[in-house]
Amino acid sequence: MSFGEVWNLIIANPILNVLVALTNLLGGSFGLAIISLTIIVRLVSWPLTKRQLKSSKAMQDMQPKIQELQKKYGKNKPKLQQEMMKLYKEAGINPLGCLWPMLIQFPIWIALYQSIMSALATTPENLLNLAQRLYSWEIVSQAIPLSSQFLGLDLGQTALEAGGLGLLLAIIVGGTMWIQQKMTAAPSVDPRQASTQRMMTLMMPLMFGFFTLMFPSGLALYWAVSNIIGIITQYFVTGGWGYLKFRSPFSQH
Amino acid sequence: MFLIIIALLPLTLVSCAPWGTQSAGGWSGTAVHDGTVYVGTRDGRVVAINSSTENLEWSYSIAPATALTSGLACSPSTVSAAIYTTPIISGDLVYIGTYSGQIHALTIDRGVERWVYPRIGSIGAIVGNLVATNETIYISSSDGMVYALDTTYGDPKWDTEPLADKLWTSPTVGDDTLYVSTFDGHIYALSLETGGLLDWSFESEAGFASSPVVYEDTIFLGSFDRHLYAIKMGSDVLEWRFPEKPADNWFWASPVVDKGIVYAGCLDGKLYAIEADTGRERWSYLTEDQNGKPSPIVSSPVLTDNLLIVVNESGTVYVFNLGAELGNDAVPLKIISIGAAVRSSFCAQEGLVYIRGEDNWTYAVDINEGEISWKLDLTKKEE
Repeated sequence: MSFGEVWNLIIANPILNVLVALTNLLGGSFGLAIISLTIIVRLVSWPLTKRQLKSSKAMQDMQPKIQELQKKYGKNKPKLQQEMMKLYKEAGINPLGCLWPMLIQFPIWIALYQSIMSALATTPENLLNLAQRLYSWEIVSQAIPLSSQFLGLDLGQTALEAGGLGLLLAIIVGGTMWIQQKMTAAPSVDPRQASTQRMMTLMMPLMFGFFTLMFPSGLALYWAVSNIIGIITQYFVTGGWGYLKFRSPFSQH
Repeated sequence: MFLIIIALLPLTLVSCAPWGTQSAGGWSGTAVHDGTVYVGTRDGRVVAINSSTENLEWSYSIAPATALTSGLACSPSTVSAAIYTTPIISGDLVYIGTYSGQIHALTIDRGVERWVYPRIGSIGAIVGNLVATNETIYISSSDGMVYALDTTYGDPKWDTEPLADKLWTSPTVGDDTLYVSTFDGHIYALSLETGGLLDWSFESEAGFASSPVVYEDTIFLGSFDRHLYAIKMGSDVLEWRFPEKPADNWFWASPVVDKGIVYAGCLDGKLYAIEADTGRERWSYLTEDQNGKPSPIVSSPVLTDNLLIVVNESGTVYVFNLGAELGNDAVPLKIISIGAAVRSSFCAQEGLVYIRGEDNWTYAVDINEGEISWKLDLTKKEE
């Protein structure tokens, strides 16, 4: 069996068939099916997300201690790293733990991209290939072919092709990602680190906003909903907006 | 930055991966006329091959009308000059529709362009085969509309309002009516003269995968619900649906009907012979690939001289003798492999079956000898 066949069998085909079945259950709306799948994915990855949020909260609580270390060993980088790792270890935190939920989502993004293109049959080849990838469930065969329209968007088209609505979707994806990152990114006292962090917080949403313009709107819908769910869960688990500060324009500082 | 790179890489790679989605490549089939085979190639050309000399007579390149390249460079949103339609010949012209949304009329002797429709710009992508009758050419398009053009000058005669999101099936002519099937489960009857919708139409819960076939007063076509449908013209009631329990896959290819028997290929690899009146199965035959696994039947069967020719996706040609005694007609006379995948429609004349493989070669299969008579690499240009 080739890698492609294994990939289709284990990841891509189940996601494709669940998407098509959900579309049928939700009155033929492929957009609602993507939103539902996003919620399912979020529920399945909840144990990992919970760990990540807890670790994020713990890091938030440790900030005074970290800032103290940064002040103390600011000029001695190796020592600072060593002391910080010691601190993380004592608190039982893995600073790279926040990467896992994101890494786990990559295969889903890839499979979802393929499923959207395949399910919406953007080319005749995709429609014909779809026949070999669908399960013989009645709920699946009744839904084919799918309508790509959702809230005025063609989910098979790139946001760039969709015009104004696509641009709005790109802003939503970038904006929600920025909020989510601001909620978790602990401010650094070190000016160089702070500058890198600022760039990262800005670059990631910009990059995903750009991806939104380049990939099918269906995938962008997944990102937007996933980010919104992320913000909501983060708000309730960590108990607030984290490091995201809303400054009133009337405040003195 | 590390995060950005790891996020970007998999998505970029997958949009170009061979096991990902497939871009539009085209599956134009073959047409034969006076010993010349006409076929569309995967690189957007129409070629004429002399069947006797086995040489390329002429080649005509189709430039994409609108090369939309939004999305990543290798993503399927690129509109290419792919050709899905099989050339049709009427008078001294050969006609072809392109995925870039144009219809080209070329002279059959030299492949010189006589006209292009539309003269400026394009209509929606053309996937379903063109139909020509009474000096009119009928086209269904991905913009959901049906167009009628004059065959001589390409002047528009009429066009319809969008009948569906997109039309990828071919229209069919029956008496004074043009029948169009849609992915959303409709069959529309249009006036050949005006393109106006006639009183009768048929609605099904499942979408129609194949183009309609008209035989006597009945329309036969395949559905995405894995059934073959028979619908009496003018009736709102389904005549029959085959099989009783859904087949293992779609009836993608249009069936052919001969002497009251419907021959339908299915993507589950089976060829079914069904009584046109009752929908009862006469016989079925499972076609296979070289490894003995069922291979989908994507192309419509072809009837010639009491022989039924079926080619499955793995490139195996089956020849059935329809004149044989009942029971023996389900046993293939010949089984020949061309060794290349086949998704295109094919044609047969004087004992030769002309097939365009997905490898972009054209094969002439001698069904009497049971072997490939000649083959030609379509990537080669004229000498």
